[in-house]
Amino acid sequence: MFFIRCVQAVDRRLLSLLWLGLFLFLSAGSSSALAGGLRIDITKGGLTPLPIAIPSFVNLAGGGQASAGGTMGSQVADVVTADLERSGLFRPISKSAFLQMPDHLLKNGPQFRDWRVIGAEALVSGAVRQEGDQIIVDFFLYDVYQGNLIGKGKRFSAVARNWRHVAHRVADEIYTRLTGETGYFTSRISFVSHKGNLKQISIMDQDGANRSDLTQGKDLVLTPRFSPDGDSLFYITYENGAPRIARLNLLGGGSNILSDYPGLNSAPSWSPDGRRMAFTLSMDGNPEIYVRDLNGSHPTRLTDNPAIDTSPSWSPDGQKIVFNSDRAGTPQLYVMNAGGGEARRITFEGNYNAAPSWSPRGDLIAFVHGGGGRFRIAVINPDGKNMRVLTDSWMDESPTWSPNGRVILFSRHNGSRSQLYSIDLTGYNERLVPVGGDSEGSDPSWSPLIR
Amino acid sequence: MKRVGLLAVALLSLGLLAGCGSTSKVGDGDQAGADAAGRDGKGIGRMGGSSANLNDPSRGGAGAGGYRFDVNVEPEHRIFFEYNSALVNDRAAQVLAHNAGWILAHGPKGVITVEGHCDERGTREFNLALGQQRADAVVRFLVSQGLPANRLKAVSYGKEKPLVPSHDESSWSKNRRAELVLR
Repeated sequence: MFFIRCVQAVDRRLLSLLWLGLFLFLSAGSSSALAGGLRIDITKGGLTPLPIAIPSFVNLAGGGQASAGGTMGSQVADVVTADLERSGLFRPISKSAFLQMPDHLLKNGPQFRDWRVIGAEALVSGAVRQEGDQIIVDFFLYDVYQGNLIGKGKRFSAVARNWRHVAHRVADEIYTRLTGETGYFTSRISFVSHKGNLKQISIMDQDGANRSDLTQGKDLVLTPRFSPDGDSLFYITYENGAPRIARLNLLGGGSNILSDYPGLNSAPSWSPDGRRMAFTLSMDGNPEIYVRDLNGSHPTRLTDNPAIDTSPSWSPDGQKIVFNSDRAGTPQLYVMNAGGGEARRITFEGNYNAAPSWSPRGDLIAFVHGGGGRFRIAVINPDGKNMRVLTDSWMDESPTWSPNGRVILFSRHNGSRSQLYSIDLTGYNERLVPVGGDSEGSDPSWSPLIR
Repeated sequence: MKRVGLLAVALLSLGLLAGCGSTSKVGDGDQAGADAAGRDGKGIGRMGGSSANLNDPSRGGAGAGGYRFDVNVEPEHRIFFEYNSALVNDRAAQVLAHNAGWILAHGPKGVITVEGHCDERGTREFNLALGQQRADAVVRFLVSQGLPANRLKAVSYGKEKPLVPSHDESSWSKNRRAELVLR
């Protein structure tokens, strides 16, 4: 039910809105970037994506003239188009419908009538040129109905081999200008890739591109977790014959074992400031949650009872920890202060609630909700109100949030394969996330924005 | 799947292999192993005398009915659990007592790893914790039977290593298990 505000909405659009049972969002441009008037209200559930036209970016030669040949411009547009389409908030219009050619659009500005007749409400115009080993991308975003720019033109540049990153920056910028929220396209996903019995910690861009495998595959590995700065991962390795927590430096520093206590070492969770780790140890006779500084201090125990306590996840302000415990007989979610102490149960529906992941916005906790022989992804307010089940499958698990707290990534086992999926927090727009080749994927962790 | 696993022969052969640094499952015995174990009266007899210890296991174990040793039960290297439970039930207690007795009697050296496993239902991390509880419960039980704690190591594999790959209760009941492995 999200939709668009247009200050001078034409009757056709108004009628279609009413017909859909929607309402106009009439507040005046609340942000200077939104002064153009076009805006998606993404606080409502998703029904009608915004029609947007994204022509190929024009390839410019050094002198600023359009150059014949070159595919970079269309590749950049393709990445932007795919990002926006996958978000579920945009409906890119087929390029074959376009009436005004990209060169003409860039040089003379939009002929808005040409874009209105094909139903576009937003329009992107852009150019790409290479200088030395740099790629430079300029783009402009237009409100087709108002006939004006939304925000200013913007330029991004990077080393040419990182051209996809630049394209994701453009997509982030468009997303932000039209939704008022930070984008999430310049981010990565770490996960466990499997092929036969081989399991590796892998990493890829959020759209599945640029995958690389970070471990050798000779030891069982589980549950990679991105650090808040995106530069390292926690993960579980059995390289010593038992579950141990390791830290892998993505900037080339290799990997080392962080936690090597007798018994279970599992469920590592970064504090939002990146300085501490909450995790599970069984060395005192039972799986309990501990916290320690990453500079090498001893673990401090946070929970103490004869049941299982595991899967800690920090609130974004670092004040609270949500975790999983079967102290009441079945696995349920509890919230405690980050320093330990009394825990408050927040799930009461269903006999299996586990794997909590606190949203980076702080407003929701995603988790696995089991019942009726199925395990599904659900969200709940941190105070235990408003539980909503988002997916419906046999075995969904490992929910992790997009950096803007809008999209949940999870793994799904359908009985024969494990694959990654994403879903909007409204429960709409469930998508398969390709991990490349014929690999299976599980245990996803979504990075922060990589800038 | 038939639960094979005849500790006697397997441990003996592993004892020989231990010097080579090899790692194998305890058990996986063949028919010859079964015969050998069946003739192994000594370990069995000795364990029969220790049944009194079984009435007070640290977590679960033999119920009010008490433990009664059955000389016809073969030694096995696997025991099984109920869903979401780390309770060592009567049947498992018999098997473990049998194993402990045999190990004490025949004295193969080396560390015995107790692997805790779960069925595939539920989350990876909860199952890792549950597998640890299962392995720890078995270790405590074996210690209660006289095995030295420093020869026992509990390792959880959660739901990562199912014995049977299918997705039904018959498979799940075989995957909720602990296994004894001599390293």
